Amino acid sequence: MTVLRGLRSGLDFLYLAAGVLAALCLIAILGLIVVQMLARWTGEVFPGAPDYAGYAMAAASFLAFANALNRGSHIRVSILLNAVPEGFRRVLEIWCFGIGTAVMWYFTYYAYRFVYWSWKFNDVSQGQDRTPLWIPQSVMLFGGAVLAVALTDHLIHVIFRGDHRITRDLDDQSHAE
Amino acid sequence: ETWDMPMAYSASNFHSATGAEFAECVTTGTGGEVEIKTHPSGSLFKGADIKRAVQTGQAPIGERLLSGHQNENALFGFDSIPFLATSFDDSDKLWRAAKPSIEKLLAEQNLTLLYAVPWPPQGLYFKNEVTSVAEMKGIKFRSYNNATSRLAELTGMLPVTIEAAEISQAFATGVAEAMISSGSTGYDRKVWESLGYFYEVDAWLPRNYVFVNTEIWNGTSEASRNVIMGCAKLAEYAGNWRAKEYTGFTLQGLRDGGMNVGPASEQMTAELKEIGDTMTNEWLEAAGDEGKAIVDAFRAE
Amino acid sequence: MENISVIILFLFVLFTLLGSGVWVGLALMGVAWVGMELFTTRPVGDVMLTTIWSASSSWTLTALPMFIWMGEILYRTRLSEDMFKGLAPWMAPLPGGLVHTNIVGCTVFAAVSGSSAATLTTVGKMSIPELRKRNYPETMVIGTLTGAATLGLMIPPSLTLIVYGVTINESITKLFFAGILPGLVLAAMFMGYVAVYSKVGKDWNPTPEAKLSFAQKVKNSRFLAPVIALIIVVIGSMYLGIATATEAAAFGVIGSLLLALGQGSLNWKTFTDSLMGATRTSAMIALILAGAAFLSLSMGFTGLPRGLADLIAGWELTRLELLMVLLVFYIVLGCFLDGISSVVLTMAVVEPMIRQAGIDLIWFGIFIVVVVEMAQITPPIGFNLFVMQGMTHHEMSYIARAAIPMFLIMVLMVFVLIAFPELATYLPNNLRPGPA
Ligand code: NA
Ligand code: NA
Repeated sequence: MTVLRGLRSGLDFLYLAAGVLAALCLIAILGLIVVQMLARWTGEVFPGAPDYAGYAMAAASFLAFANALNRGSHIRVSILLNAVPEGFRRVLEIWCFGIGTAVMWYFTYYAYRFVYWSWKFNDVSQGQDRTPLWIPQSVMLFGGAVLAVALTDHLIHVIFRGDHRITRDLDDQSHAE
Repeated sequence: ETWDMPMAYSASNFHSATGAEFAECVTTGTGGEVEIKTHPSGSLFKGADIKRAVQTGQAPIGERLLSGHQNENALFGFDSIPFLATSFDDSDKLWRAAKPSIEKLLAEQNLTLLYAVPWPPQGLYFKNEVTSVAEMKGIKFRSYNNATSRLAELTGMLPVTIEAAEISQAFATGVAEAMISSGSTGYDRKVWESLGYFYEVDAWLPRNYVFVNTEIWNGTSEASRNVIMGCAKLAEYAGNWRAKEYTGFTLQGLRDGGMNVGPASEQMTAELKEIGDTMTNEWLEAAGDEGKAIVDAFRAE
Repeated sequence: MENISVIILFLFVLFTLLGSGVWVGLALMGVAWVGMELFTTRPVGDVMLTTIWSASSSWTLTALPMFIWMGEILYRTRLSEDMFKGLAPWMAPLPGGLVHTNIVGCTVFAAVSGSSAATLTTVGKMSIPELRKRNYPETMVIGTLTGAATLGLMIPPSLTLIVYGVTINESITKLFFAGILPGLVLAAMFMGYVAVYSKVGKDWNPTPEAKLSFAQKVKNSRFLAPVIALIIVVIGSMYLGIATATEAAAFGVIGSLLLALGQGSLNWKTFTDSLMGATRTSAMIALILAGAAFLSLSMGFTGLPRGLADLIAGWELTRLELLMVLLVFYIVLGCFLDGISSVVLTMAVVEPMIRQAGIDLIWFGIFIVVVVEMAQITPPIGFNLFVMQGMTHHEMSYIARAAIPMFLIMVLMVFVLIAFPELATYLPNNLRPGPA
């Protein structure tokens, strides 16, 4: 049981830590935008600022996917889920998490190949930043993998415990609309 | 077999028109054995992704401004060295000199070259009249890559980074006051609303390249390959012709918009040529022996 | 007729995945995968990664988290009380009285927030209890607020317009300015309805307000100063060409942090709450955009969008007929899907049609926003209905019914837009162009 409990807290830490890193990326985006503006006003150049902001954007998104899932932020159509009886809902949830898990592990596998080939081809950014692309792309790979793990985690939970572990905060979710 | 062909520029651009004709030529010529479908405007893959997509077989064939990849290998930038080849004829010579090296480089990346078509020559846009490099000092100059930043540095201008989509706004607000680009850029963006002068310095003529994934190419019947190569020759010829026509058309458009369009002063031309020599030497350092061979072959002709 | 079977297959897989409750972004990836596996011989996984990386690492997209963050900060300030105090004295003498604070409050808050639900919660927090105290008809209080909050999507900044602009590769600044006049016209139409209702409504019997002198009204307006300053900074910087949409958003974040600091509502908890909330919301949209980018590429390989555009071009519909078809289509879609999903999901197919019909894409962005606004208040899936339900504990059917007049006004707005396209195109064509 200790092993399981350790695994549990380890995973929860992983989701949270990735989410916090994502939040730091948002701050980085803000910083990059401000620095670029300052540079423009003072006649200086900050080559590659838009490219770096783009990488931070991808990192912010992918690192936060799992955290957003756990907090019920990702949008889904829940009419059917809410309408069906308890037992059938469990089957439906298994189907949803099953599809999600499959999609994200598929994504993660190909993201690994993608990063590997970027590294192998020595793919560099075509912008003025000249960043070797495998570096920012690795963050996408990591974030995708964390989401895949989180979906698997919920799937196992639905199968063995009957319910997933998403705490839904409608208010939080609706701020995108 | 259907070959989806991603292209980066809008359907109305002359490169896209050339590509569409090439596609039709191949489709008809091979009797449908190879059917090429073009996807302009970056609707399939974005410009920056096209080379890698073709390299890895995600798309069998595609078109790309190859100098966009000069961060990866300086050789890809051979056609974008300022003031090295400054006319359609010179650009042609330079291309003949470079073709074997570029084909070899592409072959290493699993790509087979089909044809290349130049853009109209790059000229200098200014807000006010400029007759010498000394007068350029302190002018805010639009840079979009390392070469244009370096050009700004050598002419004493201040480089400001502005993406293509933001050009007209940048000039209208004075964020930038000068740029180097083809006549068509200025024509498309209606820059005469804020800029007054276009100097036909013909700094360089970058090219778009159409290439095919080598494995897929080798898996195509010889008859089809011959047809495709024939169509490629036609497309290259037609594309060159269009580029020249389009140059005249856009320059007239700039004139009609109220800009002063003409050659640079003798002094400025000579000074720019010197800067060109500096930048050629810098490129030669980055591009090594292979680069040297290209420039030597070009100069020998 | 190959197209028909492709369409049926895409739709079948799409509805199965979406309808069963698979998260929208992941469902789109699933549909795209099926489409590519069946219709091309290309390596699907590699294509998926190329597209998703390219779509996710986009610089223009950064405006999105910035505006969301700004809204999250303001949501946690005292802005709502201040706005009510500042607006109420001016609204009280109008026919319709304080119900106008709902609409004007939403219009003002919409100018600093990109989201409709955030507009609703912020304005409603204060106005619902105050209006109830004064005995205004409940259906009017609920209906106008649910409807007017959708202005959050049309008046800039707007998350829907950012997503639309990124999807079709149009200037976000232009789209923002296109939304201003239609947003104001729509607000005026809502207010007109309230005024008429106050004269003819049988249940209209609010407690009269104490009269305030002009000087007192002006004095109370000081409460509006911070939010107006923020609007001027964000929209003004874009209008004067000092800042791009993204940079204006950065101004907005810094401005709202200062505002919260000035009010004393900024502490470590509100800061981290707003930041984490923004991170999650923007991740949610990013997942949908990633899925949509892959789906639109997959459809590109099948040639479906172009085929459909050609097919519809072959029917030779007039522009009006095409727009009417799209209006009905989006209203139906909007019953089941959130706005952002319906925009990104359909754009791959609709964009070529619109271009072919010669319709201005900036104008069409505003058209899309109006129909997406309707989707916010139509059952069974309508975010404003959900949020309103959470705030007032009314039945959803009650809220939806209360909002029907607002829905009809929005339909009317579509025709106003068609009759006077300059409403949307005048400002973007005449704005002082900025660095983006
Ligand atoms: Na707004
Ligand atoms: Na709805």
